[in-house]
Amino acid sequence: MKLFTNKIGILSIALAMTVSSCNKEFLNAVPELDLSDATVFNTPARVLSQVNGLYGSAKNGSLFGGRYLIYNDIRGEDWVNRTTNSVTGYSTYQGNQDPSDSYLAGFWIQGYLTINRANLFLEGLAANPNAVSSTLAANYRGEAKFLRALTYFSLVQYFAKPYIMDKGASAGLPLRLKGSVSSADNDMPRSTVAQVYAQILQDLNDAETELPDSYGTALLNTTRAHKNAAIALKTRVKLAMGDFAGVITESNKIVSATAPFKSSARVAHALQSDVSAVFKAPYTTTESIFSFPMDATNAPGTQNQLGYYFNAGNVEYYLNTGSIGIYSNPQFAATDDRKTKLTVATTSVAKFPSSTKFSGVSPYVDYVPNIRYAEVLLNLAEAEAEAGSLTRAIALLKAVHGRSDASYVFPALDTKADVIKAILTERRIEFLAEGFRANDVTRRGDPMVSFGAGATIQPSDPRYIYGIPLVEVQTNPSIGK
Amino acid sequence: MKKLVLSWVLMMALVSTLFAQTRQVTGKVTSSEDGSGMPGVSVSAKGSAKGTSTAADGTYKIVVADGVSLVFSFVGFNSQTVSVGSRSVIDVQLQADNQQLSEVVVVGYGTKKRQEFTGAASTVKAATIAERPVQSFSQGLTGQAAGVNITQPNGLLNNPPVIRVRGLSSLSLSSFPLVVIDGIPISTDNVSANSTTNNPLADINPSDIESIDVLKDAASAAIYGSRAGAGVLLITTKRGKTGKAKVSIDSWAGISEAVRLPDVLNAQQYMNHKNGAIANALAMNPNAISASQRNAENKSFLPNYNPDGSLIDTDWYKEVYQTAVSQNHNLTINGGTDKTNYYFSAGYSDQDGFLRSNSFQRRSGRFNMDHQATKWLKLTANFNYSNTFNKAPMSGSNSGGAFNTSGLGRIAVAQVPNLPAYLPDGSYNLENNTLGRMNNLLPAQFPNPAVVRDLDKITSENTRLIANLGAEFRLMEGLTAKTSYSWDRRNTENIRFFNPYNGDGWSAGGDAYNNTARSDNWNWINTLQYNLTLAEKHNFSVIAGSDVQKTRVLNWGAQRQTLADYFFTDFQGNFGTNLAAGNGIYQVAYEAYLGSFSYNYAGKYFLSANYRRDGNSALSSENRWGDFGGASLGWTVSEEKFFKDLNLGNKITNLRLKASYGKVGNGNVPNAYGSYSTFGSGLYGAAPTLAFNQAGNKDLKWETSAQTNVGLDISFLNDRIQVEANYYYKDINNLILNVPQAPSKGIPGNSILANVGSMYNKGYELAVTATPINNNGFVWTTNLNFATNENMVTSLVDDNTPILTATSGLEVTSITKVGYSAAQVYGVKTGGVNPENGRRIFIKKDGTKVQYSHLGGALAWTTLDGKATTSPSDQQQILGNTLPTFYGGFNNTLRYKGFDLGLNFTFSGGNYIYNGSQAGLRDQRVWNNSVDVLNSWKTPGQVTEIPKAVYGDNVSNGSSFLIDANLQKGDFLRLQTATLGYKIPTNLTSIGISNIRVYAQANNLWLLTAYTGVDPEISSNGDSNLASGIERNSIPQGRSFTFGINIGL
Repeated sequence: MKLFTNKIGILSIALAMTVSSCNKEFLNAVPELDLSDATVFNTPARVLSQVNGLYGSAKNGSLFGGRYLIYNDIRGEDWVNRTTNSVTGYSTYQGNQDPSDSYLAGFWIQGYLTINRANLFLEGLAANPNAVSSTLAANYRGEAKFLRALTYFSLVQYFAKPYIMDKGASAGLPLRLKGSVSSADNDMPRSTVAQVYAQILQDLNDAETELPDSYGTALLNTTRAHKNAAIALKTRVKLAMGDFAGVITESNKIVSATAPFKSSARVAHALQSDVSAVFKAPYTTTESIFSFPMDATNAPGTQNQLGYYFNAGNVEYYLNTGSIGIYSNPQFAATDDRKTKLTVATTSVAKFPSSTKFSGVSPYVDYVPNIRYAEVLLNLAEAEAEAGSLTRAIALLKAVHGRSDASYVFPALDTKADVIKAILTERRIEFLAEGFRANDVTRRGDPMVSFGAGATIQPSDPRYIYGIPLVEVQTNPSIGK
Repeated sequence: MKKLVLSWVLMMALVSTLFAQTRQVTGKVTSSEDGSGMPGVSVSAKGSAKGTSTAADGTYKIVVADGVSLVFSFVGFNSQTVSVGSRSVIDVQLQADNQQLSEVVVVGYGTKKRQEFTGAASTVKAATIAERPVQSFSQGLTGQAAGVNITQPNGLLNNPPVIRVRGLSSLSLSSFPLVVIDGIPISTDNVSANSTTNNPLADINPSDIESIDVLKDAASAAIYGSRAGAGVLLITTKRGKTGKAKVSIDSWAGISEAVRLPDVLNAQQYMNHKNGAIANALAMNPNAISASQRNAENKSFLPNYNPDGSLIDTDWYKEVYQTAVSQNHNLTINGGTDKTNYYFSAGYSDQDGFLRSNSFQRRSGRFNMDHQATKWLKLTANFNYSNTFNKAPMSGSNSGGAFNTSGLGRIAVAQVPNLPAYLPDGSYNLENNTLGRMNNLLPAQFPNPAVVRDLDKITSENTRLIANLGAEFRLMEGLTAKTSYSWDRRNTENIRFFNPYNGDGWSAGGDAYNNTARSDNWNWINTLQYNLTLAEKHNFSVIAGSDVQKTRVLNWGAQRQTLADYFFTDFQGNFGTNLAAGNGIYQVAYEAYLGSFSYNYAGKYFLSANYRRDGNSALSSENRWGDFGGASLGWTVSEEKFFKDLNLGNKITNLRLKASYGKVGNGNVPNAYGSYSTFGSGLYGAAPTLAFNQAGNKDLKWETSAQTNVGLDISFLNDRIQVEANYYYKDINNLILNVPQAPSKGIPGNSILANVGSMYNKGYELAVTATPINNNGFVWTTNLNFATNENMVTSLVDDNTPILTATSGLEVTSITKVGYSAAQVYGVKTGGVNPENGRRIFIKKDGTKVQYSHLGGALAWTTLDGKATTSPSDQQQILGNTLPTFYGGFNNTLRYKGFDLGLNFTFSGGNYIYNGSQAGLRDQRVWNNSVDVLNSWKTPGQVTEIPKAVYGDNVSNGSSFLIDANLQKGDFLRLQTATLGYKIPTNLTSIGISNIRVYAQANNLWLLTAYTGVDPEISSNGDSNLASGIERNSIPQGRSFTFGINIGL
């Protein structure tokens, strides 16, 4: 008996020893579905995936994939809210937006997430010089800078006093250009608006140099930035700065001197003869300089979809048919393709007119345009009207309008003011539901006619721009300084 | 039969009288607990060797000399001595020995006699829990143990309760105690992947539980070092008792209903009120309601009529709530020989919620066995298999779901009352994704609850095996080796089908999401224990061992949208869009080595110490090992000679002092991979992407808790009154926090896990157990437990950077800041309603009063003298603490003859609750309102607490940002359970039944509180540490009545 129990004793001690010598790997649990930051430059395919990740970040439904555009449209006079839902922009529509609003904060959060990812990518690319060929590395740098510029520009439009009002002397955004991965550096004051614009232009100039001329497919020419995209974005930025000469210089790189206006450089951008073709699959005409693709497996997400807001998705907002809305504007005639082909009088959801630019319902796979050739033409038209040739301005305006309503005869376009007014009206028609309205008002420092607020909001009114989100104020003490 | 016995007794009595020297005494010994006959009670004549024991039914007979006394004794009961005198029939009722000190306490890796135990622990006998209409034992612990505070978040079935042992144990990590069932730590979080609630603790049939020991201080809990920071609940299941097989059948059935639902406007009141609000709105902004959404009289809400001409006036509560029926049945068989004991049980529970379409079912079987194979080897096996099925509609009452558009808790109060659920032809009244508006010119905003209730299918089902095999080897005298391997395997199937007609599936044309989770959790414990007694007085015990555990969880699933045909009502139907959803893999491993030493001298002086080295895979590789341990001292003063010499006799029977100190860790890191910086894979269109998705912290280390306990046990009057008092201090350091990062830095999630904070909890606990009356068969036993808690956050990232937390990700409600207890309500102070103009007055931090005029444009915010000012939404202040500062229970049992009456009260207080549901009830959008709004301001000079109603106003009521007008005190006293039982005295042994008890029970029968929300026991954010004390759109608590029967064979 004694012998036997001793055996058991030895056995059990051996057992305990086995457990004790549990191999060191036992406590090693590494993520199995995410990649370690140390491995993301290991193969050219992963580097490319990171580039696509930057675009994916920018196209998030809370930013350029949906809400950024939506909040631009609903602040104006062309839309009427149907559902009084604060989750779908009702308070912004009414001019009651507040720095505590989580959707406004969403622009800031997703925007800066995109910026940080671009910063980290640029740093990583520099630290891994052999990850891809030097040509590809330059192209990728250009793409990252293009997206960083687009994001900074879009945020500074929303959260800072317009450049035009004081040449950018006001407080702009914290200008973060280094990758952030730790708890350090929460504190950062706002740079001036002018400093932010300077950075945007520097990035776009770099991007113009570094980006490829074009890609191998129409899809990539639409969904990835190339040289013309950087140039086109510069026309938007310089227009907001009131640098009309600059707009003309940049535009001329991709716009012919006379009609028919088209780009002879690199990607052959041109207006499509049928405007509705731009908003139909495959969404990759040469008019779409830069768009965000959507897919059933990569959709904008709940309550972010343009078609949910402006079309049969849920008609959150319908077209204002009243006198101040663009729908009843004489320049937007009943014969206009943009009315006949891109709006409907009623939908299955509501007996109100809606835009059908984003006609798809669930799963909402309509591409979301960001830069169209029509915009470049109207940017150029406005710059020409302001500081160049009125004749060319009118020709550009008519090119855009005539494409959709050839029979329309503009009333007298004799004065600069008449022409500019017609161009600005044209923008409302052409870019309806594409997220231009509020920025088009604020970049010129014009009063904002808000249908939702039932008032005209003056540039001096705190409601004119969005306040810095509360979440930033709470974590970055220098932001208010 | 009875008559026969009686005549036999009489005859024998006669015989004894005749002989006169000896006397035959007969009688029956019954238990004071339930009046049942007690078998095996020793009956002996005092001062003689004569003795017998009672038969199976408790009867005895003994022949004794005249004039002697009989002594009745039984383990666990107070002995009784009765002088025979001239009597020949003596019936005795034995009182259960309520001296807790004689019981054992289950502690880590073993048990200890309570008189040797020097830590702080409470033991709850689980018998009463099994009779309650709850889903898991954890819900039944309310008010049962000092220092353990339980909050049932609301009445959604199987919603995990919030359990706090001695206050909040962490901020970002779980504050839920570690739950160990027969040795294996098991997961406690809600495991549902949809809006049902699935508390995995409900996989354990409460009827199978023998006792629950709550380890409260570090000295007791440190043996579970790695995860004991929040206390430990040790669940011991029932085991077979030696003897012939005993069968028990326990059943109950009952009903439950919703209570304290708010009074809302009826159809006519609603139309009048809303149209009035529209008139006020149009006066401010002519576009407030577009012309097409109002009639010529500027009214948007117009009467609708039934076919019989009566006004449609819908009581939405009837569509959402019901009187629900539940039933529960258990069968157990246990028994054993001197070598082998077994316990077998089968349970079935079928409970319907007072929320329609909410149900819970459990089928479970358990087999526990002990076998002494040889003199040196004992084997233990436990086997539990269960299936639990949780079904719930979208209720808005699960944690994180407060603002669900189709949450029935909110829809029930907010849905438009002048619209019907059904059209005259019986079809649902629908318009797009909402209730059909009929004559109203403004659309409703919420779905038709009847559709959500009937056509959505949301379930979460666990199939689970918990098995355990243990062996105990006696290696030599005093030396034992134990090994125990446990396996906890859970499959959870989550099914969610959103119908395409109305609710969350409308937009996608039908939406099905299925997910399955496979959790594999194993645990292997090996210990070596050596006990030694020297010179009869020095008692040593040493334990050394190891404990390893690994949990691996695999999730996979898919989401399918846009039904090919509305014929399909399941995931398996045909859909247009197929997406990956609910996929994940994670694993956590723990490895520990432990040692414990205890010594006592003659049962008077006690010393114990334990040490543990713990590794946790969720911490960074450099910091994953931590050292923990504790020590405790005890002194049983009443065992000292000097004390005995005081001759206090039975006035003070027992007096003991104890103290402990220890350090434990909290390893429940919310992210298994928090130390890694990672890139996630996604898509851009159809192209694969990689994007930075987590900033890891390579310095992540253990969060620790240093705990001090000083206690006193004292009992009076032969243990008739027992008091246990403790003071505790829990000092928690290196708190692992999701440290907020400036969003402009672009850190994913705007936070990084880091060890930055500290806080403490301190307080007193008092438990008094007494038998105030024990007279003529009438027994009243009572237990009062009372605890205080002071929580204080002493450091965070820095003193000026608080942690703000949002309810359901939308509404910032809570702040945790240095110098305050955690989870304070954070909002803007208000100063009532301006009698001049009916506007809500808000108070800025500097004391400036401003008023709000909805749709006032540039003059929306003005000072009281009318000058434009800015919104006070960023002028939040700390409004009130949400953690109760005192709580406890008052439990009473009264017995008389076969009757027993149990009255259990619970109380809690010192805290505030943010009644966010009230904000919703006063919101001036299309939502229906509480009848409070009938008092809204209408004329200058009117003094009221409800502002002027302006259609669309969601600021004045506190929906837009939190205001203190919706803050209320949370003190309450509740009659948690009232149970009346009766043991049928009829002797049924002839048909094989040894006892029958029937009972009726009421749960939540009575509540005393000034809180006006649905219930002061509420937690819309579930187990959240940082956002407790919030009520937002939850369904209420229920009141239930059950009838039950216990049968013993």
